[in-house]
Amino acid sequence: MDRVLTFVNSDRAYVRWGTVLLALLAGGLLWEVVGLQFNQAIMAPLIGDGVDHPGTLPRLGRYLFDDPEYLLSLLQSIQLFATGFGLALLIALPFGIILARLVMLRVALESYILMLYVTPMIALIPFILSILGFDFWPKVLVVYLFAFFPILYNTLEGARSVKPEMLEVAKSFRSSEFAIWTDILIPYTLPFALTGIRQAAGRALVGMVAAEFFLSTSGLGEELQTASRNFDMAGVLATILVITGLGISFMKIAGVFEQKYSAWRGLDR
Amino acid sequence: MTTDALTQPADSRSMGSLLSNIFWGTSLRAKVTAGILILLVWQVGVTLFAPSFVATPIGVALAFPGVVTSKVFLIASKGTLLAVFQGLAIALVFGTVVGVAMGRMKVFDRALNFYVSGFYTMPMIALLPLLTIWFGYGGDARLATVIFAAFFSIVINVRDGARSVPPEYLEVCKAYRAKARYVWFDITVFASLPYLIAGFRLAAGRALVAAVIAEFFVSLQDGVGMFVLFNARNFNHDVAVVGVVALVAFGLMFEITMNWTTRRFFPWYRRETKAD
Repeated sequence: MDRVLTFVNSDRAYVRWGTVLLALLAGGLLWEVVGLQFNQAIMAPLIGDGVDHPGTLPRLGRYLFDDPEYLLSLLQSIQLFATGFGLALLIALPFGIILARLVMLRVALESYILMLYVTPMIALIPFILSILGFDFWPKVLVVYLFAFFPILYNTLEGARSVKPEMLEVAKSFRSSEFAIWTDILIPYTLPFALTGIRQAAGRALVGMVAAEFFLSTSGLGEELQTASRNFDMAGVLATILVITGLGISFMKIAGVFEQKYSAWRGLDR
Repeated sequence: MTTDALTQPADSRSMGSLLSNIFWGTSLRAKVTAGILILLVWQVGVTLFAPSFVATPIGVALAFPGVVTSKVFLIASKGTLLAVFQGLAIALVFGTVVGVAMGRMKVFDRALNFYVSGFYTMPMIALLPLLTIWFGYGGDARLATVIFAAFFSIVINVRDGARSVPPEYLEVCKAYRAKARYVWFDITVFASLPYLIAGFRLAAGRALVAAVIAEFFVSLQDGVGMFVLFNARNFNHDVAVVGVVALVAFGLMFEITMNWTTRRFFPWYRRETKAD
């Protein structure tokens, strides 16, 4: 028993990769067996037999490579995400850095930003729906709200960490306002802002799907709803995979930047 | 910092110092002035530019006492809170077991890491159609969503905690030939409590959001989410805002309870939970 445990926990390359591969295989097999057991309206298998039990992977392949309409929905979703997220970036980052510069404003607004940061933005969707109605821009607003506060809140954390001594030294050497921004404020707040951006990417994706569910349906949210109304589980699962893939790639991209600049955080934290 | 961005305890860092920042921050006067200004802009802006059904601070304040004591609202809060607590309890028990297993045994970590970080990143809202078909359009679907939202953040944090048990403890265990179950449940779980608490905080926030999303999607009558949706649809925005305020209050109440529990029962962990 002990020897088995030592073996499976050892760091040899083939044990490591073997475990990962076996786990993936086992997961896939379980999915396949469960999918074949149940009616196709309840669960779809991974590969499937194509007749009574349409598989998820074949469907995913058809969606991505052989279905222009689906690709259009995907693009629609990405467009919604990019618009909302980009607007949140454009507004939250400069605002956060301004708060780093104007200490009084930061102190005054901090609590309210924190409160909005913990507010479940999903609860605001009904208001947006009944005030702004069904259009592209209300949906953008939803994504924007989901992304804005994590970015602003984390930038604010960074703003709080800017040492006043630095600003004083810059001031006593008559440094220009531009130099203060580019050499002190932005380098100091950037790593924190990037943490916020990674968080915001995850939240904005939830916002995107929520907006497409509860406001005018469009994009991937619409595909998901249509498939689930038709009890087409293969379609539902394939769309979930697409959405998860989007989420993982957005967060990976943001994570790469975060890693790159994380060394800029002071050691005093 | 961990190497993989996906497995970091996402927003757990800030939650500890959050309350103290809200209530005991410096310069009370600036805060109060800013608060009054915000409310004033809201009130004036809505009365001047928005249709009359949009909520105003005065309207919300007038509606507040009536709503908080009304039966519909109390039933709704009870439903949401009960689902969140049940889901959190279930996720906590199973999440701790899985997390400790992953942190202590490399084989579990390698086998499950793909699934755990995949499901952690998966937006729970995308799973809702699936969960409603499996669990029906009722309270069960909401409970399942809450569990799903809470489980993986607890697993990830407990795993990080179980990995960072001080090696001296484990050496002592080895020297005295302690059985595996003592190492797991008497040493590892307690040594990783700060991480567990951080994960639980994060999970609680996600669980509340999950409950609200599920209520929207399922149109569950006994939920605060549905209360907000129903009143917003009927253009009773003042009443609906009270529901949103209640949701924020639930989150803050949970934070207060967690802070108090940590201070009361684990005073030696306070510093760590605050720092990270």
